[in-house]
Amino acid sequence: MTDATRQGLVRIGLSLLLILSLYLLSAATENTARFGRLYLWLLLLNGVVLVALVAVIVNNLRRLIRSVRSREAGSRLTLRLMGLFAVMAVLPGLVVYGFSMQFLQRGVDSWFDVRVENALDDALALSQASLDQRMRDMQQRLQEAALDLSDVDEGMAPIALGDLRARTGASELALLGENGRIIAASSIDTADILPHRPEEGILLQLRQGRPYVGLDPIENAGLHIRALVPAPGPDGPSGSRVLQGLFQVSPRINDLAAEVEDAFSEYRELAYLRGPLKDSFSLTLSLVLLVSLLFAVWSAFYLARRLVAPVSRLAEGTRAMAAGEYGKQLPPGGNDELGFLVRSFNDMSRRVAEVRDAARQSQDLVEAQRAYLETVLGRLSSGVLALAPDGSLRTFNQAATAILSVPLAEGVGRPLSALAGQYADFAPFAELVARHRQTSEAEWRAELSLNTSDGRRSLICSGAMLPGEGDRGGEVIVFDDVTTLIQAQRDAAWGEVARRLAHEIRNPLTPIQLSAERLQHKVAGHLQGEEASVLARSTDTIIHQVEAMKEMVQAFSEYARPPVLQPQSVDLNALVGEVVELYRSEPEQPEFRLALADDLPRLEADPGRLRQLLNNLLRNALEAAEGGDCVVTVATARGTGRHADMIELHVEDNGPGFDESMLDQLFEPYVSSKPRGSGLGLAIVKKIVEEHNGIIGARNTGHGAKITVRLPRVAASDARSGENQ
Amino acid sequence: MGFTMPALRKQISASLAVCLLLAGGWAMAQADAFRVRALTGVFDGELLYAEARIDYRLTATVQQALENGVALVIAQELRLEKPRWWWRNARLVELDRRYRLQYHAISRRYVMTWLASGDSRSFRTLDALLQELGRIEAWPVTRAERLTPETDYELRLQSRLEVESLPRLLRTVALTESDWQLESQPWTAVVER
Repeated sequence: MTDATRQGLVRIGLSLLLILSLYLLSAATENTARFGRLYLWLLLLNGVVLVALVAVIVNNLRRLIRSVRSREAGSRLTLRLMGLFAVMAVLPGLVVYGFSMQFLQRGVDSWFDVRVENALDDALALSQASLDQRMRDMQQRLQEAALDLSDVDEGMAPIALGDLRARTGASELALLGENGRIIAASSIDTADILPHRPEEGILLQLRQGRPYVGLDPIENAGLHIRALVPAPGPDGPSGSRVLQGLFQVSPRINDLAAEVEDAFSEYRELAYLRGPLKDSFSLTLSLVLLVSLLFAVWSAFYLARRLVAPVSRLAEGTRAMAAGEYGKQLPPGGNDELGFLVRSFNDMSRRVAEVRDAARQSQDLVEAQRAYLETVLGRLSSGVLALAPDGSLRTFNQAATAILSVPLAEGVGRPLSALAGQYADFAPFAELVARHRQTSEAEWRAELSLNTSDGRRSLICSGAMLPGEGDRGGEVIVFDDVTTLIQAQRDAAWGEVARRLAHEIRNPLTPIQLSAERLQHKVAGHLQGEEASVLARSTDTIIHQVEAMKEMVQAFSEYARPPVLQPQSVDLNALVGEVVELYRSEPEQPEFRLALADDLPRLEADPGRLRQLLNNLLRNALEAAEGGDCVVTVATARGTGRHADMIELHVEDNGPGFDESMLDQLFEPYVSSKPRGSGLGLAIVKKIVEEHNGIIGARNTGHGAKITVRLPRVAASDARSGENQ
Repeated sequence: MGFTMPALRKQISASLAVCLLLAGGWAMAQADAFRVRALTGVFDGELLYAEARIDYRLTATVQQALENGVALVIAQELRLEKPRWWWRNARLVELDRRYRLQYHAISRRYVMTWLASGDSRSFRTLDALLQELGRIEAWPVTRAERLTPETDYELRLQSRLEVESLPRLLRTVALTESDWQLESQPWTAVVER
């Protein structure tokens, strides 16, 4: 059983009790014989119920007003319904009450007719008048009898009275002495010995000499005429004897008078009682009405609340839905339209929740796919850019940022040209893409050489139109950094060349040198003068050139030699300082500017190879100076960003910079614009860097060339493992 | 709305009556309307008689009702009790006399009827009737032998207007109006044989 049903049953029970008590109350008003004792208790009970109802209603009203103030769902509707119900209950009730009251007043009054009242009064007066005549007669008769008693003393009185009674026709005669003492009496009714005594007032009147006559209604004996007259005795008129006579009224008159008396007194009583009658009816009616009305108002609260409950639950449910709490189920209502509404709401809510769940699932799926794709893209060594149909950057992967050395994140949502304006290095790439976008090719491939902050890079780009909405979708551009690949191919080629050259050239060099020396040794003694000096110069030249060639071949073989690293902890700053000291005494008097990071961690590297690297770099920088004032800046720093676990070494000169056309092959052997040097310097530098798994880059700054070397803090285990194999 | 002023006034007075009722005020008995002035127990031979005087005064409302033909019943209740210190008094005798008072319109007299015997007496004035009603002489209470000698007994007399005997319509009013609550304080006299 639900709470509401239980409440409803309680109310029905209460109202039945109330109806019973009201019925008893009205029954008590009607018939006090049965409920007379109950009446007060019923009044009290109903009064208590009244007070309780008023209290309950006030409490309900207060609760309702509070809930309206706090804008609870459904409270205003409850208030309105409640007001409506109350008006519907109270107004007709009051109208009926008003009319009932009026009918009650008028109806009760209309029972009493002025003419009837007058007629009854007249009947009474008539009866009295007719009896008055008879009373006077009786008094006259008694006075005559009293005269007869004037000479009768107390002893003879009973006999005389008996005679007189018979003569006067009285039903009782009594002779009274002083203070009403009975001297003698004679009665028609022998059983009744004691005569009816007159009251003191009458005796007093007689003592003053005035006779009395009046009617005396005697229970069970009908109406009598009582007359009292002074009856002076033999001792003179000063005696205070009194003769009392009771005369029966004739039976017919007696009956008529009794009827008139009954009717009159009944009517008087009724007329008198109409006030209390109206009062008690009004009281009962008011109480019944008040209790009924208050009960109706109280029930109106309940009904309104019960009616509104599904509506307010619906309102709450809708509010919850609006707040995003889908799937909320309301307790089912009845079988009416509201119940249907609640069921529909529940269906809708459930479906919305299902749809939401499905949407969430597919969103999760999409998210998972996206994460998967992002992971795949992130792991790709190729850079990937996706452009929106309007040419703005949509997405990119990590490799794209690394390859282009441009913070692509800043350019998301903007066209590539905007980024190119900000980072000049990026411009060729942006131009390439723009060019291909203009031609609207479905697919394109291109090679591009990009001068990034990390050095020159060779890129192979390919673009493809994305299937998209409208005539033009976005575009995806995939590009690979093939710099190292090309470099590796070139390195491999050069290594092979060097090995062969060393092998092919070194072999004949020693016989050439030995032959030249023997030639000089054997022939010099036989030649004189000019010839001898020519020979000496020529063999010297041969020997020196062969020596130079040997050195060159030695350098080549060095270059081609597989790396043998002996890594150990190295303080790069100390090493830089050491090497730079060696160069300070060079004939060019170079100026070294050192910008060494204080907190540089130690490197795990081969110090010998590093020294060679520094030597080559410094020599390269000095050679670039071309005799002018040579300023070389050497800087060390911790790597930042994606090079965070690397140590950077920058060597910058104030020379003319690299020839732009040479930048691609800068680190290949014999690529040099300088008149001096072996042409292997930077190639060896690059080799050493690569042995340490480092990165090298070169670029022109505004006032010279700058080479950047990045070495991992821990030496490449690959190199060592490679060497061990 | 069909309200007439009297109807409205009635309604208001009815509500007021209810309110008065609820205010916890049972209509209080009219003070001193009936008053037992004297009560004595007299042993005369075999019997114990009660002699008493009761002052009866009717309120104007009651008198008006009487003159309008409403019969009043006045009861005189006489009790003889043996006091017990440890419990309620033991009641030995319980006697009631009930008189009906009526106005006889044709004779213009007030009639007092002793309901037990049906004997009636009529009086020219109400005062005379009430005086007669209040005079209690030689009301036999009990035989003297029933009483233990040298023991105190309590004679208790109380008189009241019987509301229950009023006409039914008047009863509801009488129950709520103090004018109708005529009742004497009980009067106690100690009797010793």
